[in-house]
Amino acid sequence: MNRETAYWMALEHEWICSNAIGNGKIDKMNMVIRFLHEKKISMTDFFQLSNDEWKNEFEITDEQIIKLEQVKKSVPNYAFLAETLQSNGIEVIPIVSSEYSKTLKENLKKSAPLILYIKGNKQIMQENSIAIVGSRDASDIALQFTDNIAKRASKEWKVVISGFAKGVDKQSLDSSIAYKGQSIIVLPQGIMTFESGFKTYYKQIIDGDVLVLSTYHPKAGWAKELAMARNAIIYGLAKEIYAAESKPSKNRQGKETKGGTYAGVMDGLKKGRTIYVRKPDYAEQNDNNLLINSGAIPVDFNGNIAPVIYGSDNDALPMVSEPSINKKNFPEIIKDILLDYKYGLTTQDILKKISSDWKPDKLTKELGKLPFIEKIKKNNKNYFILKDMEPQTLFNYNESLY
Amino acid sequence: MTRQEAEILLKRIFKLPTFYDEQWQTIEHILNGERVLLIEKTGFGKSLCFQFPATVFKGTTVIFSPLIALMRDQIKKLQSLGIAAKCINSEQSIEENAQIISDAKSGKIKILYIAPERQENSEWIEATQQMDLSMIVVDEAHCISVWGHDFRPSFQRIINLVKLLPKGMPVLATTATATKRVENDIAAQIGEGITIIRGNLLRNNFKLFVVKVNSEDEKLIWLGKNIEKLSDRTGGTGILYTGTRVDTEIYSKWFNYLNISSTSYNAGLDTDSRVAIENGLMSNQWKCIISTNALGMGIDKSDIRFIIHTQIPQSPIHYYQEIGRAGRDGKPAYIILFYNPNEDRKLPEAFIEGGRPTIRKYEKVINVVKTGLFGEREIIKQTNLKSNEFRVIKADLIEQKIVRESIYGKTKKYEFIPDSQALNTKTFEELRAAKIADLEKMIEYVETDDSRMKFLCDYLGDNSNHIFTNCDNTSEKKIQVVVTEEWSEKLQDFRENYFPELVVETRGSNMVNGVAASYYGVSNVGNAIHRSKYEKCGDFPDFLLKLALKAFRKNFDNELFDLILYVPPTKSGNLVKNFAEKLSNFLKIPISHGLQKTRETSEQKIFENTYNKSENVKDAFIYTKPNDIVGKKILLFDDICDSKATIKEIGKYLTNLGAEKIVPIVIAKTVGGDIV
Repeated sequence: MNRETAYWMALEHEWICSNAIGNGKIDKMNMVIRFLHEKKISMTDFFQLSNDEWKNEFEITDEQIIKLEQVKKSVPNYAFLAETLQSNGIEVIPIVSSEYSKTLKENLKKSAPLILYIKGNKQIMQENSIAIVGSRDASDIALQFTDNIAKRASKEWKVVISGFAKGVDKQSLDSSIAYKGQSIIVLPQGIMTFESGFKTYYKQIIDGDVLVLSTYHPKAGWAKELAMARNAIIYGLAKEIYAAESKPSKNRQGKETKGGTYAGVMDGLKKGRTIYVRKPDYAEQNDNNLLINSGAIPVDFNGNIAPVIYGSDNDALPMVSEPSINKKNFPEIIKDILLDYKYGLTTQDILKKISSDWKPDKLTKELGKLPFIEKIKKNNKNYFILKDMEPQTLFNYNESLY
Repeated sequence: MTRQEAEILLKRIFKLPTFYDEQWQTIEHILNGERVLLIEKTGFGKSLCFQFPATVFKGTTVIFSPLIALMRDQIKKLQSLGIAAKCINSEQSIEENAQIISDAKSGKIKILYIAPERQENSEWIEATQQMDLSMIVVDEAHCISVWGHDFRPSFQRIINLVKLLPKGMPVLATTATATKRVENDIAAQIGEGITIIRGNLLRNNFKLFVVKVNSEDEKLIWLGKNIEKLSDRTGGTGILYTGTRVDTEIYSKWFNYLNISSTSYNAGLDTDSRVAIENGLMSNQWKCIISTNALGMGIDKSDIRFIIHTQIPQSPIHYYQEIGRAGRDGKPAYIILFYNPNEDRKLPEAFIEGGRPTIRKYEKVINVVKTGLFGEREIIKQTNLKSNEFRVIKADLIEQKIVRESIYGKTKKYEFIPDSQALNTKTFEELRAAKIADLEKMIEYVETDDSRMKFLCDYLGDNSNHIFTNCDNTSEKKIQVVVTEEWSEKLQDFRENYFPELVVETRGSNMVNGVAASYYGVSNVGNAIHRSKYEKCGDFPDFLLKLALKAFRKNFDNELFDLILYVPPTKSGNLVKNFAEKLSNFLKIPISHGLQKTRETSEQKIFENTYNKSENVKDAFIYTKPNDIVGKKILLFDDICDSKATIKEIGKYLTNLGAEKIVPIVIAKTVGGDIV
């Protein structure tokens, strides 16, 4: 902890992201990159600047200045909170620190949280890691699979990332501890509200086998939204992802949904992550095959990649590749891809993402015809972007910062 | 803001005409959002250096102060000026503190005093999240430094906080007593770009005396003879500092015996009594208050006319701090130090040597915290350490970052910090060496033939060239102690009629405070008991019986008792029983042998702390014919009373059986550290 800790905390929690899809977050990250990386100015010095300097030298908008002023005003308050965290052995790791999980940064890029609250052996954030995800009311077979994967992880010196929910999450943590492996507990709540857990895992924490991690305000209580959002952190922290079981669940209104595991895996697949899903037995009632059919890699009970057997099992279809592109489905496919890339993609980028024998020229031409697409120039390259998305920032993201 | 503008405000708000130069210098830095360490003698006006800017700032100024008396005092003053000042402390009710926290959150408070320990309180931290904070003040900042005379571990968290505060947030640390070493230590801890402002420390109005004596009797006699005269001559009141709480009691009883208007004070008193005595001091209710050094720090009484020490403090800095409370109004104040070269080194030496437990005990604690997450009580029980030993070890281990004190709910638990360094005993040795050197300096002060004020100023790093004429080595006459026969007899009579009180009253028990015939180690009583108990010299000698009877008659002569019971022994055979029978015989109170043990207990003396002692005797007693107890007034006898755990346990048991009143009487009461 140092004098900048309170600034980081204030920036993370007091910069209110105004729109639902969290675009403010990216703005904030861009701003941080601009002053810390490009202009090489420290956090403390940045906050000593006048509004005019913010505006003129850092291209900060009036709306953002209001947010920054709120952040600045709250820094002394966060200093008090930071001291409490410190005295309880909780550390705040900002994204610029070499102690921040590299895996998380690589996976989440600009959506990575600005700070991590942790307690325990932070070194294990830098190790190879796996996450085992799955339903809260997983079947015995799914739990046994989880145990197998955790055992294997422990043997291979891989850290197990657990979301500390019931079912698969809890099993992965328990197994990891039982096999003397290392684990990261990713909290669906603020780290200061995890007292009972710190008591339970005291021994594992002081032995360096467990790290507790949260990305939320330290005092935030458990909330469904936080639990859902935490999935992205679990996936982000893991180099490999195993899904033990995806089961439908009911939401608060009693309506059946595909459940968190399904949503998480699908989101991961969409973002290009490799995800291993346990190949279910014929009689199992779950959505594992659905995930496999969407591009996840099937694995057997021990986590080995399972050969896909074609046969009488209708559910167990071979991995289906994305439908080949044609003029009819082209607009929908492009829209779907660009929704995830609000800063746009080049023709080459898009070409890699679609299954097609089109040449780049043809693709560029077809893209130009789409009414909902806009072409912008950045660093002498053409990017395609959806028209109703936020305008591109002037900042040129440079991954080497992290 | 210019000085001129500030002084207009000063007149309007504080009704003061101007700032001293050093005050304005400090305030200017503070208004600029900087960090300042201000070292100025008591009475200089350090508080104004934060109170004034606090009224200029928009938000709330938070002052960490270890002294509740000072908080109360300053708040009263600020409120009388119409400034919204409040304090949060453990002496106020929960509701009161909650209201103040709520006012602070809504910006109704300009100046908020809190104790450093409050930083551990979750409601307070919650409140800080919503307050508009404008400045942080660390009062008595020498408490930050282990090299100072009053290091307090709770200040560590304040330093951690200060290090996390943003640039531009003003921080003021103040102290009246800091050597160069302490000054450097504070500055280094508060960090980056701190400005140090140091004033001169001389107190010209002090008249400093050292009185060398050959015995405790000489001190008692001189004070008995002169304290009233001193008070009359100076027209005011003063403080007599003793080295221990027991001495406070003895001197106080001695003055009572002589009808000298006085009262005694120590940190063990309850809040109401302390507040009453502090108020009495302010209104000169007594000629003298006898106290341990717990009294006076931060009390804003400008006309304390004399300060007398019956014991040398551990160092000149302790001494300067304690005498600094006298004569703040600039009028003459008498500063007298007694010193018995044959005896008086022992107490400060014992503080220094006994202050640090053995390394083996440190290891015990480390091993326990490695096995699990425990609170203080559990660790003390598992390690069988004395509570104060554990507290020293705990503070050191926290300081060395081997153990962390974490709050779980409302309780503190001790966590081992993985990968921490091994215990560094070198620091302990350095600290011990520094303390011994300080004690040597204190003795040098006693022995010096030069100006005593100059000696103190030099020691504190204020190398003034001022010519001092204010001590018994310069122009004041030396004090001589003359012991007359009349006074020797008075003192002897006092000693023979003085019996220590056994304070055992607790809620839910019908046991009342009793009496001991003597202190264990103060006279030959302890030796006599030891010979009978452990050297097989037969029954307790008769002079102890006489003493016990006298103690009884002096305190309970007018009360009627139905029964004498005695504490069934663990080891020493019939000594207690035989003694109780003699008491019964002389006092004509029937004796009962019905109080027995339900199980074997261990000797209490092998347990180092109250938790283990209480556990050792818990539910260990039974009375054979319980109906005999109902509605009875009982005199309960034992030979030695140490932790009082046994006596209290029996008191509770007899209360449950229906006893109306239980009065304990023992031959000797131990004082911390007595080897029984």
